[in-house]
Amino acid sequence: MSIRSARSNRILKSIPPREYRRLSDQLVPVTLRFGQVLYEPGKAIRHVYFPIDCLVSLLTAVDRRRTLEVGMVGNEGMAGMPFILGVGVSGVRALVQGAGRALRMAAGPFRIEFDRNPALQQALYRYTYALMAQISQTAACNRFHETEARLARWLLMTSDRVGSQEFALTQEFLAHMLGLRRVGVTEAASALKSRNLIDYTRGKLRILDMPALKHAACSCYQIVNAVFTRAQRT
Amino acid sequence: MGPATVQTARRAPAVPRLAAGAAPAFAPRVNPHQNHLLDALPARDYERLAPHLELQTLKLGDVLYEPGRAMRYVHFPTTAIVSMLYVMEDGASAEIAIVGNEGILGISLFMGGESTPSRAVVQSAGYSYRMKAQLLKNEFGRYGTLMHLLLRYTQALITQMAQTAVCNRHHTVDQQLCRWLLLSLDRLASNQLTMTQELIANMLGVRREGVTEAAGKLQDAGLVEYRRGKITVLDRPRLQARSCECYEVVKKEFDRLLPYRPL
Repeated sequence: MSIRSARSNRILKSIPPREYRRLSDQLVPVTLRFGQVLYEPGKAIRHVYFPIDCLVSLLTAVDRRRTLEVGMVGNEGMAGMPFILGVGVSGVRALVQGAGRALRMAAGPFRIEFDRNPALQQALYRYTYALMAQISQTAACNRFHETEARLARWLLMTSDRVGSQEFALTQEFLAHMLGLRRVGVTEAASALKSRNLIDYTRGKLRILDMPALKHAACSCYQIVNAVFTRAQRT
Repeated sequence: MGPATVQTARRAPAVPRLAAGAAPAFAPRVNPHQNHLLDALPARDYERLAPHLELQTLKLGDVLYEPGRAMRYVHFPTTAIVSMLYVMEDGASAEIAIVGNEGILGISLFMGGESTPSRAVVQSAGYSYRMKAQLLKNEFGRYGTLMHLLLRYTQALITQMAQTAVCNRHHTVDQQLCRWLLLSLDRLASNQLTMTQELIANMLGVRREGVTEAAGKLQDAGLVEYRRGKITVLDRPRLQARSCECYEVVKKEFDRLLPYRPL
């Protein structure tokens, strides 16, 4: 994998070249499959992942089956956050939502690198802040915002991170992410369709009108974007 | 210090405002060790911070942080409880996390954020110690025990926030009130909370009628007494049974990560 593509994870890209060289020896390019589970709650974190073009969902669950996506990790971040906080176990389920490439590092070597690389520490602490803001936003969003607006926001966030306006998506998957019953997903998706914001047939979703979809999304979309943008400024 | 000072200190709940650096003649009722984070520091680290800890009397409804404003202090509650509220554009708010004597307010500081996205409001009056933000950053930069404790606390807080998110999605308002009551009691010495209906409304993200309804349900079930702004928990085990699992999840995580074991 060329240096250039290997550094299209934004956290890794922010590391000065000399420190990055040391890090890169330990980074293994991997391809993650849709539905692959990277972490289960309570299980040890064995690797951390820096997405390049894949997308990872962080999910919590209650009542055994009711779930909610509380965060999304794309190439702006790293999956395995608890590890940098000194906690070797994940609290959430991390699931690959968008298949693609990532750079993977084993937990032990990552710990060593993290402890001696101030640039990596800074970048990851700033990312932790941004991720916490995303999770807080999700908590508030689920108290106040309507299903349609939440769906619009989710589609936009996904689109930003996978770099495409078109993706394959089952209603059941969406139901998991948004913490809805399928009928709720169907209704919300139909509403967006009837407004010509999306096309959604046979599991394939296409965003037709980005600006209008942004307008339909709840304010959380812009707010979370702003937090991430600020966090990335060195 | 003479007898007069001792007498003042004994008269509860009035505790003399300790000037930074002042050493009490005996271990006062309120002291920084009541905050578990500070208590877990090795003696030398604690001694370094102690002169910079200022005792504060926090009143119900006091705002410690506004979103987006620079934070000049961090806060270590001892008997006070503070809610981190997320404030929406239209002014509506909902609690994201609760912070008491197990934690600190202001973790954004060492994660590179100079401000916090939430508003910090005192939900239960009491004492707290504040310290200048820059001093915390300096201490964090020493890579010592405090840094590790703060990072572990951050993880506990993230779990709490994530659980709040899923709870807000799937559970009822009265269940959320249960969760909040239980988490608060864990951080208090008593089973009584003095609240205002408005504060509960801001915390739950509902209108005042919603509070009356939620508190009313718990009262009807004999779990709490809600009178003149005071909520008294009457039957804690049954309150726990009524709560959604979210309380247990957060409690387990906090118990696992904190109390802080020596590192």
